[in-house]
Amino acid sequence: MLNLQAKKWPGKLREVSLGKAGLRVGGGTGLPLHTHEAAFPHRPLLALEVTDIDPPRFAPTLRAAWEGALGKPALAAERAVKEHGADLVMLHLVGVHPDRGDRSAEQAIADVGAVLAAAGAPLIVKGPGVSEKQNDVLMRVAERFAGEGLVLHSACQESYKTLAAAAVAYGHVLVAESPIDLNIAKQLNILLGDASVDLDRVLCDPLTGGLGYGLEYTYSVMERIRLAALGGDPMLSCPVICLCGEDVWKAKEVWVPEEKAPDWGETAARGIHWEVATALALLAAGADLLVLRHPEALRRVRRQLDTWFPRG
Amino acid sequence: MSRTIATAAVRGAHACVARAESQLALAIAKHGRDRAVGFEGTAYCLPVILALTGRRVEKLGELEAALREAKGWLPEVPSEKLWLPYLGSALDAGVATLVAHETVEALKPLLGVPLAAGPWLGPTPDSILREQGIKLVDGRMPGFAACVGALPDDETAEQLARDLQERNILVFMGASSNGTSMAEQLQRRGVEMSWETFLVPYGPDTSSLVHALGFACRAALTFGGLKPGGLLESREILLYNQRRVFAFVLALGPVDDEKYATAAGAINFGFPVIADTDIPEILPSGICTYEHVVSNVPHASLAARAVEIRGVKIRTLEIPIPVRHGPAFEGERVRKEDVAVEFGGKHTRAYEYLRSRPMDAVEDGKIQVVGPELADVPEGARLPLAIFVEVAGRKLQPEFESILERHIHSFLSEPMGVMHLGQRDTVWLRISKKARDAGFRISHLGTMLLHKLKNDFPAIVDKVQITLFTRGEEVEALYPEAQAAYAHRDERMGALTDESVDTYYSCALCQSYAPNHICIITPERLGLCGAYNWLDGKAAYEINPHGGNLPVKKGAVVDPVAGQWQGINDFVESASNGAFTRFSAYSMVQDPMTSCGCFECIACVLPGTGGIMIVDREYPGQTPVGMPFSQLAEVTGGGQQTPGFIGIGTLYVLSRKFISGDGGLARLVWTTTRIKERLGERLRERCAESGHVDLYEKIADERVCTELEPLIEHLAAVEHPALALGEMI
Ligand code: SF4
Repeated sequence: MLNLQAKKWPGKLREVSLGKAGLRVGGGTGLPLHTHEAAFPHRPLLALEVTDIDPPRFAPTLRAAWEGALGKPALAAERAVKEHGADLVMLHLVGVHPDRGDRSAEQAIADVGAVLAAAGAPLIVKGPGVSEKQNDVLMRVAERFAGEGLVLHSACQESYKTLAAAAVAYGHVLVAESPIDLNIAKQLNILLGDASVDLDRVLCDPLTGGLGYGLEYTYSVMERIRLAALGGDPMLSCPVICLCGEDVWKAKEVWVPEEKAPDWGETAARGIHWEVATALALLAAGADLLVLRHPEALRRVRRQLDTWFPRG
Repeated sequence: MSRTIATAAVRGAHACVARAESQLALAIAKHGRDRAVGFEGTAYCLPVILALTGRRVEKLGELEAALREAKGWLPEVPSEKLWLPYLGSALDAGVATLVAHETVEALKPLLGVPLAAGPWLGPTPDSILREQGIKLVDGRMPGFAACVGALPDDETAEQLARDLQERNILVFMGASSNGTSMAEQLQRRGVEMSWETFLVPYGPDTSSLVHALGFACRAALTFGGLKPGGLLESREILLYNQRRVFAFVLALGPVDDEKYATAAGAINFGFPVIADTDIPEILPSGICTYEHVVSNVPHASLAARAVEIRGVKIRTLEIPIPVRHGPAFEGERVRKEDVAVEFGGKHTRAYEYLRSRPMDAVEDGKIQVVGPELADVPEGARLPLAIFVEVAGRKLQPEFESILERHIHSFLSEPMGVMHLGQRDTVWLRISKKARDAGFRISHLGTMLLHKLKNDFPAIVDKVQITLFTRGEEVEALYPEAQAAYAHRDERMGALTDESVDTYYSCALCQSYAPNHICIITPERLGLCGAYNWLDGKAAYEINPHGGNLPVKKGAVVDPVAGQWQGINDFVESASNGAFTRFSAYSMVQDPMTSCGCFECIACVLPGTGGIMIVDREYPGQTPVGMPFSQLAEVTGGGQQTPGFIGIGTLYVLSRKFISGDGGLARLVWTTTRIKERLGERLRERCAESGHVDLYEKIADERVCTELEPLIEHLAAVEHPALALGEMI
């Protein structure tokens, strides 16, 4: 048998603990999936996304998978964890957006509370996108659920101070989002450190481009981030979270009905394939936490993960 | 430190501590040592005491111990004869004073004095702190002002409050002078005071001001993730405030010993004191970012001065001009038929000139039009124009003038209906009729520049004043100065050689796309994208020390010909994650610099000619090396070291260090007409300087040939010097 010399790196990934019970993520000491030469104390985590309101932009085949639970975040979260085997849940506060319902902080707090109770798993709370509204709502959610170890998504270079303060004051984990740009990812972490955020409480979101829509850029940046982390750069060693489902389900390929593109195959299967293919590439690039949308995609990725990282 | 202030502060501190002691004794006599003490609605006990001593005071007995500790910090009152000018003793006195103040405030309810009464709100509960403190931390509120005492009259008080409100600064009020207080003055003027209006009256006594510091301490503990503890921890809390909470004290009216003592306490937090009376100043910086005590400031400029002294940066979200603006309008042209007024071009003199000035020579926000405004001239008029921008900043260096000035173009291209071309004295500017009809005036050019300069360069620009001259006389009068400045800058840039500096700048902005790529920018070799020269790198680092541009010390010379230095090589090794260990600044064959993908031009060795060719990005055709630009880019780019191929910024060709290690400009045998045009006369001059006769004429371009064979024939025919230099690889 080929005798490969194990590569030892000076650095390793940080370990971050999510939720009240402390589900851990990260900590790898080598290149992604290089289980033959490096230690991976925690398998990559898989999350499913649920939304506060009936999501206006879910493809029909995705809607079908969540039949009966769309716009019912607590029910969806319960299914995500108990039926579909998600490690954790991401509650996307779509309806907080001023143009999509303008839901209030109080409503968001009620949703978060209900989802936390129903899921019994750590929770990522994603705001409606960079804005004062997002900061305001996430700040209040953070305050109300102090100590729950929520994962707040997300702080970015232009607007990080509010959520940084929220994470510090109320003991949450913060996602630092950068636009497929290593320098910004690093700079943002330095800024967060300056704002007193403990980098052992930060996840890095390098922004995911789905298959066919920029995946190769994401892949390349993640590769760079991981190499820098392993090379010993403490400002790039936060575990990486990828919002895989979000970009995948925007792709034309998952929407076009089979009548319109007969040789593309069945629409429902196509969407799942698209998400699985993107997910596997992201895992190979070094994702530590994937957020998916389709339960069947999660099941298949899980099956693959089980072969890469045998349980036990 | 001023002896008067120090003496007064120490005296005041003794008095404050003595009063706190006697009141505490009274309270203990009345209620016993086990009686609970504290402010309502806070989990931080007595927050200033908690932050400064680490003590969680919940009972009178514990308060007694805290006060005793503070008393131990009290220095002796300096005697007339023996006096060591020691800032530390006054600062210690200040800290002790704050503990005494908080003691007095905490005892008030126990001694039958309500904390909230009349206009006074008393201490702030945690719920409001969480809501409002976050704004201080995330920058929505730039800072707070602790206003001590009163203004000469009610009207001036209201004016000051408005000035501060306008800047989004939270206003805390306390204490009195001449028998009244600012809060009472505002009340008489019918001004609404509450947390909603950002006007917060704490209490009538000097001790009431401790609540402002309690607010600051709790913000640090809550949002700064700091833990109270001993001295070390208290230092952290003070530092946090100094760096992040942009607060200052406004001393209004006469300053007595107790106020001096309180001010000394605030200085510990890095909060400077700005006074409207003639008290001794403490100018040199140390604890505070800039000055500590500044006096005799007129009421009308109090807010502006305070903001400047504390280094508060205020961003304008909405630039007040009557047309839409943004980078989206940058390429927009204003056609002849649509012109309301026009400057420069071929018709009149128009130039822009930015100069740095001392802080006190610039009146921030002043915009003046000297000469006719838009309304004074007929439609389509052609006017001369001088855009004279005076900038001041604590960290502004004169060398940054040219960088800021260069931005005038993009800033003035942003308003819809304004067309700006050129720079320096080649400006051509048009304002459209539509913009004019929407209310746009010449003065709005100034408004735009003012806000953009302050928003985009907050680290180096503190104050901006703009004068727009539109009358021939004044335009001509200033012109010689502008010309002299341009010439001076060019001379300086020319004198700026690689040898004359000990630091180069790195640029890692392209690493996202080209893993391991790093640019090393020297005074004589700009970044290969052409967008960053050495000064830009320097300014970028000053503006954002966490960004992609870092200073790199050259260190010992490794190879003077190829241009290698130990410091640079070490840096390259770490920045490229070990992929490269050596970089040459002056050679394209021995350890050349890597190329990402955004090079303006590619230089590559042409075997058989002894020379190189340079092709620009826009050139679509075939080249003598047998590859068009697109194909060459694949060979050159990607962040690899490819001997014989480098990406370069066009202007590097003019540098005296242009591949000087490989033989320099004499190696250039073929380039594109576009490059020749762009470099124009300057290339001719450099060729002449190189010592080779008619070098410029001998350099072929696509009009001569686009293949190697005919090129070699051509070179032989013209006796190009490269042939004699021998093969490069
Ligand atoms: S090409 Fe320009 S932007 Fe890119 S790294 Fe070099 S200097 Fe920086």
